[in-house]
Amino acid sequence: MLYIGLVCAGSPAWGQKELRVAAAADLQPVMPVLSQAYQQATGVKLVVSFGSSSTLATQILGGAPMDIFLGADFTYPEKVVAAGLADGSAPTVYAKGTLVLWTRNDSGLLPLSVERLTDPRVKTVAIANELHAPYGRAAAAALRKMKMYDEVSPHLVVGENITQTAQFVESGNAQLGLISLTAASTDHFKEIGTYVLVPTSQYPAILQYAVVMQKSDRKAEAHAFLDWLLSSPVQGTLPKLGLGAVK
Amino acid sequence: MDFGALWLTLRLAVGTTAILLVVALPLAWWIASGRGAGRALVQAVVALPLVLPPTVLGFYLLIALGPLSAPGRLLIKIVGHPLAFSFAGLLVGSVIYSLPFAVQPLVAGFSAVDRGYVEASEGLGVSPWGTFWSVVLPLARGSLLTSTVLTFTHTVGEFGVVLMLGGNIPGATQTLSIALYDQVQEFNYAAANRTALVLVVFAIVALLTIYLLPGVSKADGKRVDVVQ
Repeated sequence: MLYIGLVCAGSPAWGQKELRVAAAADLQPVMPVLSQAYQQATGVKLVVSFGSSSTLATQILGGAPMDIFLGADFTYPEKVVAAGLADGSAPTVYAKGTLVLWTRNDSGLLPLSVERLTDPRVKTVAIANELHAPYGRAAAAALRKMKMYDEVSPHLVVGENITQTAQFVESGNAQLGLISLTAASTDHFKEIGTYVLVPTSQYPAILQYAVVMQKSDRKAEAHAFLDWLLSSPVQGTLPKLGLGAVK
Repeated sequence: MDFGALWLTLRLAVGTTAILLVVALPLAWWIASGRGAGRALVQAVVALPLVLPPTVLGFYLLIALGPLSAPGRLLIKIVGHPLAFSFAGLLVGSVIYSLPFAVQPLVAGFSAVDRGYVEASEGLGVSPWGTFWSVVLPLARGSLLTSTVLTFTHTVGEFGVVLMLGGNIPGATQTLSIALYDQVQEFNYAAANRTALVLVVFAIVALLTIYLLPGVSKADGKRVDVVQ
């Protein structure tokens, strides 16, 4: 009985369609907006699970029931393709991520600039894990390219994904944070803090790729969502949400 | 094998166990030596980490004791840095998180000690402190061992609190359980396997210590130990 109850609770009511989306952590502020728009446009509800791209890829390789995976880079969606779990032979690029340096307005580090990273008053700098979070990899690459890595590395505190990294610096526990523009563009972050863009010449572009799951029983719906995401009106709204358009 | 993480985990577990023994012995003795609403309340608070998700603790330590709150700012002034991202912060988190594992076996052990011995000892003019050391503690030594081993292993196995407030800093806050998580994320299953094996061995050795040591299981408050 309990099982039946759970199954019913988990299934869409009155033919309302659901799509299970595994979304990279940088999309956490973005997905609620996109979900709402998509549901209004099509009636399909997005059920979103967030995590670092690597966490999600690990879960998908372990059999997590997902219809579509929106990664924050190429590597992890490609792993899903390589494992034969993707519908299609290559991941599809859907957006471009932007790395910013963010601090709270009360941190005493204003005016903010990238040079603040080596300010002697700065004891903690939050970045995402460079080994398994795409924004972390970009942040570490930028620090190396700007020849600041050796100086900054003793002060680095590492978030498991980009949202946790943003939370470390939002809560004031870290003084500076290299976070995603998607987080920095939210009303809350704009209200309490300030960001500057990390020059895009200093890190490899964060191109975000998606794959539709081969085992999904809603492949058509998943492709339809991806097409919608790539359509020019939707791509046109991405910059407002902190993502770059790719079409 | 990540020896830095192993060494850090051991330091954290030893530090937590040492602090908790000092805290738990008097606390458990006080709880065990009477009844009443006050003691029930203290016991309930002590047991909280058993039922609360570690994320509650991580949240409080990160936000309530961070620079956004008044107590947090005071603490930062005293310690010199926020508790988050430091070994001291992990130690505080672990002490709270493992508190019930230290206190509860001791309460059970002390409660099983026959009050007659305590009264006899005090009647013979031994101080309460002396009675505790030379009568109560030897009678409850099985519980003391259980408490020590459980605290140690529970700290070794801690994950949620460390993930939330650690900042994953090698040598400072990256414990074995976090290193294992990272290795799985990196698809480095060979390394993950080695780390997981170390954690499993830790746990088995610890549990065997509790279940195998001679006399431990029957030591709690049994007459035979005192008569000898």
